[in-house]
Amino acid sequence: MDIDLALLREMHRRLPPDVALAIVGRAALALGRNGHSPGLTMPVDVEPAVTNCVLSWPMADLNQANQHDENRITEDGAEAVALAVVHRHRGWCVVRRLQREEHADWLLEGGGKGGRQIIALEVSGVDRGAIAARLSQKLAQVAMSLDVDGRWAGVVGFQEPAMALRSTKRRKRGN
Amino acid sequence: METDALNSLVTGAIWRAEQLEARGISSAGHAWAEVSSLEEELAKALPASGPEGRIARRGSVRAALKAGDYVRASALLASYSAEEAAPESLKAALRKILKEEDAAMVSRFRYATKQHSPREARELARRFREFGAFCLAA
Repeated sequence: MDIDLALLREMHRRLPPDVALAIVGRAALALGRNGHSPGLTMPVDVEPAVTNCVLSWPMADLNQANQHDENRITEDGAEAVALAVVHRHRGWCVVRRLQREEHADWLLEGGGKGGRQIIALEVSGVDRGAIAARLSQKLAQVAMSLDVDGRWAGVVGFQEPAMALRSTKRRKRGN
Repeated sequence: METDALNSLVTGAIWRAEQLEARGISSAGHAWAEVSSLEEELAKALPASGPEGRIARRGSVRAALKAGDYVRASALLASYSAEEAAPESLKAALRKILKEEDAAMVSRFRYATKQHSPREARELARRFREFGAFCLAA
């Protein structure tokens, strides 16, 4: 499966152009500073299977990295990768960003047998090291989201490029 | 304005407010005020009986508090709680948001809040902002 981050806006039409540009630019910096180049093969662990995707992105000038907050490069970069992956793997689209007290970063929508589904997605990035521990933390966080049909967490690793996407047990909508 | 456009606007506004807040830039408060207004517009467009309407109502109150506007947050809480379609769980969640804000204030100003309740302290702060220091002596 090919995923081109340059097409993020076409995948998510409600994503404002400036936000898309910023997070894709930071993904390029996060990947580039770890020595990766476009056309990277990245394992994507989306339940129930692990598949490889070929990830492309617009090249960024690494000299600009020091103008950005290091954590924001990792976190925002992870958001760009995660949003592209969930669109390609699940067909989900951004509805809106959520405030952090909603326990997730994004509200997404997807179609299903039962009609429109609303999904809370919490995303995190790991610049160095493994992603498993962070994924557990983020799943515990997104499990507290209210008013959604699905609760998912996605973690992107940049040193050893990888992404994992998992859901928590579904809770009844709060109404 | 249609909800798609409002969702895009609130996404951009939250993202900007978070970026400013992360850098400790003082105008983050203004950015959260913009978020609160956009969430309020979404709340007008989406019923409290639907999940996105409830998210917008909680968001509007929370963002008002992040903007430091307790009066607006209280007014929004009263307005949303009076809606016929508002489920009890939403009303409870909104009350909890303001309670948590009060608790945070009590823990930050432990000595001052021995003299005044959070509500009184906020009223004094509002009068100070609106009318200046001499109004407190009146």
